[in-house]
Amino acid sequence: MESLKLLWMSTGLANFELGQVIMMLVGCGLLYLAIARNFEPLLLVPMGFGAILTNIPVAGFSEAGGLLHFIYYAGIDTGIFPLLIFMGVGAMTDFGALIANPKTLLLGAAAQFGIFATLFGAIALNFVGLDFSMKDASAIAIIGGADGPTAIFLASKLAPDLLGAIAVAAYSYMALVPIIQPPIMRALTTEDERKIEMAQLRHVTKVEKIIFPLGVLMMTIFFLPAATPLVGMFCLGNLMRECGVVDRLSSTAQNELINIVTIFLGLGVGSKLSADQFLNAKTLGILALGAVAFSIGTAAGVLMAKLMNKVAKEKVNPLIGAAGVSAVPMAARVANKVGLEANPHNFLLMHAMGPNVAGVLGSAVAAGILLALVG
Amino acid sequence: MENLQQLFIEAGTLMLTGMVFVFTFLGLLIVFINVVLVKLAKKYPDAIVESRASSKRNNNKQDGKSVSPAVVAAISSAVKQYRQQHSAQK
Repeated sequence: MESLKLLWMSTGLANFELGQVIMMLVGCGLLYLAIARNFEPLLLVPMGFGAILTNIPVAGFSEAGGLLHFIYYAGIDTGIFPLLIFMGVGAMTDFGALIANPKTLLLGAAAQFGIFATLFGAIALNFVGLDFSMKDASAIAIIGGADGPTAIFLASKLAPDLLGAIAVAAYSYMALVPIIQPPIMRALTTEDERKIEMAQLRHVTKVEKIIFPLGVLMMTIFFLPAATPLVGMFCLGNLMRECGVVDRLSSTAQNELINIVTIFLGLGVGSKLSADQFLNAKTLGILALGAVAFSIGTAAGVLMAKLMNKVAKEKVNPLIGAAGVSAVPMAARVANKVGLEANPHNFLLMHAMGPNVAGVLGSAVAAGILLALVG
Repeated sequence: MENLQQLFIEAGTLMLTGMVFVFTFLGLLIVFINVVLVKLAKKYPDAIVESRASSKRNNNKQDGKSVSPAVVAAISSAVKQYRQQHSAQK
């Protein structure tokens, strides 16, 4: 009888707490979004599964000595996983469109307003009883950069307790870019503006593409060393892609390595989706702020493009400003799609890739600034 | 309340310095592209341009029977892109 009781006490059924059940359902929800709705499946599948694993009673996945505990501390607490992902993203990024039309960098810069404006929002939530410090607010605000690895990197440094909610918010909104952005883009532009056709981009030479990442790194070293972990890994990946002599490394960085790291990153983030860290009012606040950050970033990019049209002779289609919120290449595709609705012969995809990759650099720089000033 | 006010002032300062810095940094990058990269591009043009010229010569020699691989690649990528766009619209 005693051993039967002992056996019962070691079952999941006897040890379940309500919070764990709810978080497992959240994990299942993430799996549903990934599998049935195709929302960022590469990350949400391991993240959702990680959320289920970490909430299993008795098994102790996230306690000292557990698998997810090791994965989290080895890869996310140290910042290694997001940085490796950033290297892979660098290896996948073609800066050609940006180099051909450098003024699109201004659009990428303007879209970062979403990050800094959200800082206010996070602090303002203290009025309704939430307790966000400046570090918390900075980590939440970076969701506006629409860049998963950057958000995870910054959150792991500034507010590890909020990491789960921030990562879920960042990736959810990145998946929702095609739903969030178009209404804002249409509201802020006229039909004529959406029809603007842009001049064909010039050819960018190989030498330019090789020197560009080195130049970016050099500038980051001079002006913002705090951003060099992110920018440095990004530039390394990009240099491997463009130099043409290490195709094997470039291929590994953008395929096998990034895939392996994504599995562990997802599991590690999932391990932070425990009931005590996720089921609170702060998570709701973070989800709300994430949407605000995205929307403000999109609006700022579009308005900057309109401002540039007032000043410069060569017109830009303001829709590409919305692509300034990184989320590569989804945001560029959205700009292209909304442009095609207004003018079926106007392919904006390549033009939108300029502000899109500028947004990646912009959010890395913004993360560096937050790290330097708040961290 | 006073503490909150201080946090707001801090957030405002951070926003201002942050945006100024992001614009300055990316603005400097524009200068870098326009000054350094454009000059480099003129000094060291891509080998492809030369090979195109040479392939033209080759084509002439062969009475235009063969099409250069660069042209084939350009056309096939354009077709692929068009098809992708087309299917995405559907």
